[in-house]
Amino acid sequence: MIYLAFTFSTLIQQIINGLSLGSVYALIAVGYSLVYSILLFSNFAHGGFLVVGGYACYFLLTQLGYGVAVSMTFALFASGLTAVITERLAYKPIRERTSITLYLLIASMGVNIIIENLFVITVGGRIRALPQNTFPTGVFNLMGGVTLSASDIISLITAVIFLGLLQIFLNKTRWGLAIRAAACDIRTAGLMGVNVTFLISLVFFVAGVLAAVGGIFLSVRYSLYPQLGSITTKAFVAAVIGGLGSLPGAVVGSLILGLAEMLTAGFISSQMRDLVVYSLLVIMLLIRPAGFFGKTISEKI
Amino acid sequence: MKRNIILIITGLCLALWPLGGYQEGIVILMCINCIAAMGVSVLTGFTGIFTLGHAAYMALGAYTTAIMTVRYGIHWLPAVIAGGLMAVLIAWLIGIPTLKLTGDYYAIASIGLGEAIRLIIENWQSFTRGSRGFPGIDPYTTRIMAVVIFILLAILMFNLLDSRLGRELKASRDDSIAASLMGFNTPHSRMKALVISAFYCGIAGSLLGGYMCFIQPSMFDMMKSTELTAVVVFGGLGSMSGTILGSAAITLIMEYFRDISQYRMLIYGLLLVVIMVFRPEGLMGSHEIWDLLKSKEAVKKDA
Repeated sequence: MIYLAFTFSTLIQQIINGLSLGSVYALIAVGYSLVYSILLFSNFAHGGFLVVGGYACYFLLTQLGYGVAVSMTFALFASGLTAVITERLAYKPIRERTSITLYLLIASMGVNIIIENLFVITVGGRIRALPQNTFPTGVFNLMGGVTLSASDIISLITAVIFLGLLQIFLNKTRWGLAIRAAACDIRTAGLMGVNVTFLISLVFFVAGVLAAVGGIFLSVRYSLYPQLGSITTKAFVAAVIGGLGSLPGAVVGSLILGLAEMLTAGFISSQMRDLVVYSLLVIMLLIRPAGFFGKTISEKI
Repeated sequence: MKRNIILIITGLCLALWPLGGYQEGIVILMCINCIAAMGVSVLTGFTGIFTLGHAAYMALGAYTTAIMTVRYGIHWLPAVIAGGLMAVLIAWLIGIPTLKLTGDYYAIASIGLGEAIRLIIENWQSFTRGSRGFPGIDPYTTRIMAVVIFILLAILMFNLLDSRLGRELKASRDDSIAASLMGFNTPHSRMKALVISAFYCGIAGSLLGGYMCFIQPSMFDMMKSTELTAVVVFGGLGSMSGTILGSAAITLIMEYFRDISQYRMLIYGLLLVVIMVFRPEGLMGSHEIWDLLKSKEAVKKDA
């Protein structure tokens, strides 16, 4: 009986942890999926944007002594700007010359390596932690020894707020309409009078901002180091599980992944976490390669 | 024919030119890197499947050979071949679900599967000694042996690419719908490309184990996979001699500029972006080095 109660509280605890982790994945996966829906290539530099956001926040907080709100705002802006600059310098020339998305994919891989190693060289590969008082650290005790930490609640709420804002932006504004149109057919959207260059920059800015939010939460939850961006691999997996290019799919996939990871850690072994994630990917690809919400891949001639 | 002669002469030079111990090591490393790069090139350059997980096949080869030679005292030659075959087996199993995917889906799946293989090796402590690494491998990779295997595999590879199979791969890369309408079984040819590339990477991994005498799962992480792909892109997507030249050049550059090894990955990254922006076809484009020896008309006739 006691054992049962124990496993039940572990279950609840791991579900809370899983949702909190999943919400961070969702922030990253949605930005990545958004870029994919417009340009149809996997932006592997997404992890780099996340690292830029994390480090910007860290240095603003610790070295320059700004408050949490100011630091976060600037960090989001810095990451968004990095994304836009990346697009202009690396992707735009390729995009204009050829329609082969493989080239964009390789270039984005390169950008990711550049950003990661720039941080290794300039600030060092040392693991850093955001100051403890960045977010409230209170812990609430629920029934049966289940704890709910303030940072879990904050990351969940922030994720919901940002995803909600994104939803409003995409559905209620003119530029949101343009982005949705471009996701259907970017050439036609351009012919209809949408400024495609600006639209793509805007999409990258939004993706960068969302990645930075995820990056800051990850560096609070774990720690901050130049290779933190490699965690985006899991957000990519989440996006594939949900269906590449689909925003609701990215959210659902992320939550599934977060839950699966934390439940594995709680009931099997924390070493198996990543293995479970990748097995989920393989199972999904076997059953439904297009993901939950993806367009079917089969092409018609 | 001219091609095989060039390759054999290169091989003889590499194998017999008097060199010091340090240079010998570089020649071995060069051969290993070239074998792995050839493997990735078949898949990424000639079949158009972008992979970011091929270091895992090297790990499979390295661990298979290491365990066979150290634990069971098997001679290195069958063990190295078994290393290649193990990679082939796993690649075939992985290929069944994943090769239905195209483009970015496969790239992401390859990251996931590559990492999964590395994690299994890392967590299977009783069999692979996990992240502590596997020490005490016989130094069976000598210079002559590495060069001979490299040249044999290179000749095999060039002949494969000239055969029906090579045309099949290129056709399914350039336009898979048109290729399948011409009667090629494109998923089948993609599978063949994956299996061949896994074999080459597996052999490269086995040789690396014999050269280093010590292997560790972290030697075969995503960074290594990225490096492999970067080298192929640098050499030219669709040029096997470009791949070999690029791989050899990068091995030499990295070796002679060891002082700046901290910038190594940064240079790779910059290389990838700059090549994609200014010369996406890479060092050699889709030409082979012996095309330069032919007259221009002959090249056109071939293409």
